[in-house]
Amino acid sequence: MKTMNSRRDFLKRTGLASGGLVIGLNFLQSCVNEVVNIPKNAAPLVDLENGFQAQGALSVTDFLQIRPDGSVFLSLTKYEMGQGVSTGLSSILAEELEADWEKINIKYIKSSVSESDITGGSTSTLLHWDLLRKAGAFAKYLLIEAAAKEWTVYEDQCYAENGHIHQHGSTVKLGYGELVEKVVVPESYQTLFDEVPLKYQSKFKLIGKSLKSKIIPDIVTGKHPFSIDVRLPNMKYAAVLRCPVFKGKLLSFDASDALRIPGVEKVVKVDGVILDAATHIRDGVAVIANSTWAAFQGKLAVKAEWDLGENAKMEHQKFVADCLEQLDSNRGTEILRIGKKINTSEMDQIISYTYEFPYQHHACMEPLNATSHFKGDSCEMWVGTQSADKIIANIEKHLGIPKENIKINCHPSGGGFGLRYSSEYAVESMVVSKAAGGDLVKMCYSREDDIKFDYLNPFELNKHTVGIKDGRPLFWDFKNVMANWGGLLGWMYYDIPNCSGTQITVDGFTQVGAWRSVMANAEGFSTECFIDEVAHELNRDPLEFRLSLLPRNKMVDFKHSYKCNINRLRGALELVAKKAKWGKSMPEDSAQGIAVYPYMHGNGYGAVVAEVSIANNEIKVTKITASIDCGLVINPDQVRQQMEGGVIWALSAIFHGGTEYANGVVKRSNFHDNPVLRINEIPEIEVHICENDETRPWGVGEIAGPPTYAAVCNAIFAATGKRIRKLPIKKSVLAL
Amino acid sequence: MATIRLNVNGIVHEKEMDPNMPLLWVLRDILGLTGTKFGCGIAQCGACTVLVDGQAVRSCSMGVQSAMDKNIETIEGVEATPFRSLQQAWIDQQVPQCGYCQSGQLMNAIGFLKSNPNPTDEAILNAMSGNICRCGTYPRILKAIKSVVEQSSKNNGI
Repeated sequence: MKTMNSRRDFLKRTGLASGGLVIGLNFLQSCVNEVVNIPKNAAPLVDLENGFQAQGALSVTDFLQIRPDGSVFLSLTKYEMGQGVSTGLSSILAEELEADWEKINIKYIKSSVSESDITGGSTSTLLHWDLLRKAGAFAKYLLIEAAAKEWTVYEDQCYAENGHIHQHGSTVKLGYGELVEKVVVPESYQTLFDEVPLKYQSKFKLIGKSLKSKIIPDIVTGKHPFSIDVRLPNMKYAAVLRCPVFKGKLLSFDASDALRIPGVEKVVKVDGVILDAATHIRDGVAVIANSTWAAFQGKLAVKAEWDLGENAKMEHQKFVADCLEQLDSNRGTEILRIGKKINTSEMDQIISYTYEFPYQHHACMEPLNATSHFKGDSCEMWVGTQSADKIIANIEKHLGIPKENIKINCHPSGGGFGLRYSSEYAVESMVVSKAAGGDLVKMCYSREDDIKFDYLNPFELNKHTVGIKDGRPLFWDFKNVMANWGGLLGWMYYDIPNCSGTQITVDGFTQVGAWRSVMANAEGFSTECFIDEVAHELNRDPLEFRLSLLPRNKMVDFKHSYKCNINRLRGALELVAKKAKWGKSMPEDSAQGIAVYPYMHGNGYGAVVAEVSIANNEIKVTKITASIDCGLVINPDQVRQQMEGGVIWALSAIFHGGTEYANGVVKRSNFHDNPVLRINEIPEIEVHICENDETRPWGVGEIAGPPTYAAVCNAIFAATGKRIRKLPIKKSVLAL
Repeated sequence: MATIRLNVNGIVHEKEMDPNMPLLWVLRDILGLTGTKFGCGIAQCGACTVLVDGQAVRSCSMGVQSAMDKNIETIEGVEATPFRSLQQAWIDQQVPQCGYCQSGQLMNAIGFLKSNPNPTDEAILNAMSGNICRCGTYPRILKAIKSVVEQSSKNNGI
């Protein structure tokens, strides 16, 4: 645990400020043992809030502030990208603070040092649960003390409710705003924070309720502060012509036509930067202009010559053939070994199939963008990012600016889905600002840039093999080939005594990154389609067979963050089966399919029953019933939102996903050739939340996808007799 | 460069600009009305939808010259119109997640309901199929529009 330097230091950041009671992040960081990656509160008061002119109010740069007017401001240490953290995290704070929910406001953080938080893995709520409860309870404690002193009564005669401190048996009350300037911070603040009593969960009033989103009112009026909407004095606009092939080099360029376009001011070279094996800032040419439109036009007019390099020779069919050859080789790293090695000749039956999960595009609705100002030995950026600390680290490493001189203004964004886990686009904008001689530039990807230079979900092949003895799987072997990315999960939750797993990494044609549900997409799809195939070959009902391999009260150790709780997994599966009436009689040419998957990054469990019908040889998903066990539920409606969205995300990938490339260049470019699911393609979606005994919240955002792929494919099999082992698929049965 | 006069949400703007610039970028970069979003630039996603003389159009694909002297309505102006009921329905149904496509979804829905105040579900789905949402808020968009239609048929109008 870090300790505070001095009481003075503490008071500087926590205590009375002209803006009311302020609890700084430094203080929380010093007090909360388990939370180590939260930003320090070193940002000074500034004129510009998230790139927008402040409304004459005091800047809120602290973690929690209660102002004299009674309003409460929470600085988001997790990144809002549509998954709802602003509302969910605020409600945890408000619960313990006994705040008036209507008076809670959120602020987006300014990261000034390399300690801001990464957002991913469906972990935001579970990681900040303790921090936010303690912060709320701590502030409430100080307010009660202040009220008691004011009234000259004992603290236990006072209680907090709805933004006021009340006296028991009296109508006397004081609002938080009236009290903040009377708060006295005690000597023993650190012990107090650590030991502050928290509410009994049975007394929760906000947690568990479908409170309305804190950001939607601004969204429906067009005021939500996306980074693409930043407007700053003297800001220029930039567009970058990038090398079309990963690892290619710029040889020369001619900017004469571009410079003739009205509004184009400069055309400069962008020197590529290798960040890691999967991600580079590509060589390119940046056009600086007085509008986005002029920059885009200028970019199209730049003539560049490239040395495209080795990746221009990549052809997909050959790549897949090589991957399949690797799967059958002895290459790879063993990353999973449970039980013993089994002699396959002793088995009654061996069942083995290989599944292909393709490259996938993010196509976030807000194209990648970042606004940067390179100032030599310091810099400032306005960006929507899941990983401000990676941006800071890369700027320090590659542009030589000391991290304490790097300021990142974090904005919410129009989708993240893992794309904004990569820091390259942000660092690239700073490289452009530097190349442009220190101009303040908003660099925006066109949609074509956003598709062609996407950090794709890595291509993955999964080969599953089981040996059957006396009607039960005796061993399971899992091999995976993955492009430019390690990370075989090898989560075998079914009760199979002997398991092995091998990871093989290969070089694909392009850059890759995180994509909602990450490796659980391919593995959820393949594992749950495979177990369905095994059930079928053993003549067992898919639900009954799964349950027979999920013994109650078992915790399976994947050597991951959390142990897999088979009761919770079973619970999700049983609930979805019940709600969807698994096994009910279906109309002709229609069928159900089922799947379940644990998402162990966030310790959440999901199950899906899909219903499909075939008419005129066309597959139609008619209904999805989904269940989730996400532990303690903070906001049921937000859980349903995330599940609906996750199901639609997966359906989009099933029917429209993947990518195509030729000569190392992504062929897709925009929504006409990179289609995504539209409103007239959606099935009925029903979401059910499992009741459970968990006392803390677990992950939500990435639970729905993995079981959705498999349930749909298993339903298609049940309706047509055709197994799907490769995504995406066409809607025509004839193409299966 | 040319002097362009635009009437946006009832306010007249007159500025020097490239007359070939799409209305989207004039709204965003020149007039500072950033509620209208850039999504694709080729009228495939609907994020940039605004109303021009009451009709939903993709502002990314309309040159600013063609919008001159017409009545342009953007998301920033909706609160002052009866269609604030649609914004309220978006809040009641908790439609948006990231929210980036929602200005366009709302403007498209307004344009649609102006011409078809009492639509079937199928007509709503068809009318909204040009607006992409990656968060998957479609089921709630449908619910929100239906709730406004139901309310307006009770009240004889929005």
